[in-house]
Amino acid sequence: MAINTANTSVGLNAQSDAVHGRILVWDIPTRIFHWSLVLCFVIAYLTSESERWQVWHVTAGYTFGMLLLFRLFWGVVGTRYARFSDFVQGPKQTMRYLSSLLTRHPHHYVGHNPAGAWAIIGMIGLGLLAVLTGWASFSDYGDWFGELHEGIVNVLILVIAIHIGGVLVSSVLHRENLVRSMVHGCKQGNLLDAIRYPQWIVGVLLLVGLGLFLWALLSSRLPALLP
Amino acid sequence: MHRTLFFCLLRFSALALLLGNSGFSRAETPQFFLDEYQQAAKSQNPGFKGFSVAAGERFYRNKHGGDWSCASCHTDNPAAIGKHVVTGKLIQPMSPSANPERFSDAAKVNKWFKRNCNDVLKRECTPEEKGNLLTYLITVK
Repeated sequence: MAINTANTSVGLNAQSDAVHGRILVWDIPTRIFHWSLVLCFVIAYLTSESERWQVWHVTAGYTFGMLLLFRLFWGVVGTRYARFSDFVQGPKQTMRYLSSLLTRHPHHYVGHNPAGAWAIIGMIGLGLLAVLTGWASFSDYGDWFGELHEGIVNVLILVIAIHIGGVLVSSVLHRENLVRSMVHGCKQGNLLDAIRYPQWIVGVLLLVGLGLFLWALLSSRLPALLP
Repeated sequence: MHRTLFFCLLRFSALALLLGNSGFSRAETPQFFLDEYQQAAKSQNPGFKGFSVAAGERFYRNKHGGDWSCASCHTDNPAAIGKHVVTGKLIQPMSPSANPERFSDAAKVNKWFKRNCNDVLKRECTPEEKGNLLTYLITVK
């Protein structure tokens, strides 16, 4: 089923211009999630070495965790290309995709390619582990949680580097600016492949939810997270 | 080829995890750290005469030109329970006499000296400063 989303560039070029154009691929919640996640990671990283910024660090970290939980939810009920079932594939498909990159006709996916999918799974898993161990360390459940937290984040940074590298390589090979797509949500493609709704309401609800979470956290209403 | 690359990355990840987690704790004593700082202080400064309780106490209370001293979080009495000025979290006593867990784990001591010196002095502490401070902390019961 997932194979349907893989259009080789040969196939696309054969289509007439009438069905080819600018299509919406990434819905609003997915894009808000992505860039909020980047922001939280950068804030948490930059504030990690000082006690002065400790509240910023844990706030960014917990928000990072909330965003990941939302992404798990959205990966099940979200729009077509946001769903895990659309992009998570086995090692065989992943290897097939990677080897196609070395040929003159790299396989093209409208949504995430199978290699990128593994980076996404890795970042979600490691991200959740980083938040859990960070929370345990901050709650004084043992020094080794702090060590583990740093170790996990080191691996997470490695996967983020692979993710960014993959995005750049893929952007060049497929001649599409994937970074910009994650901003405006659109790509060039077959009109039939577009998602129908940008899901503005879910996007607004996500922002409201994050706002409520931040308010509760910073007004000491969640003492188990931040006393 | 891709498989080899994958395993290479996997191994690198495991290594990074281990390196980040290399704080295996042997049971060190405050004396172990005093010896270490003394050796380092001597090699940096041939005229080094030994650590001083008074200098350690001055160091503990001094704001070093910034807005925080050690006492800002650890209170005026290092044998008492402290309170983080930003998060309000409680901090167990710093004096090894009041809290035997202090200065018993090199990884932890190194981590927190580096972190807290950067916050208070905006630089790392010298071995002489660390030795003076520890000499003072030991005397506070």
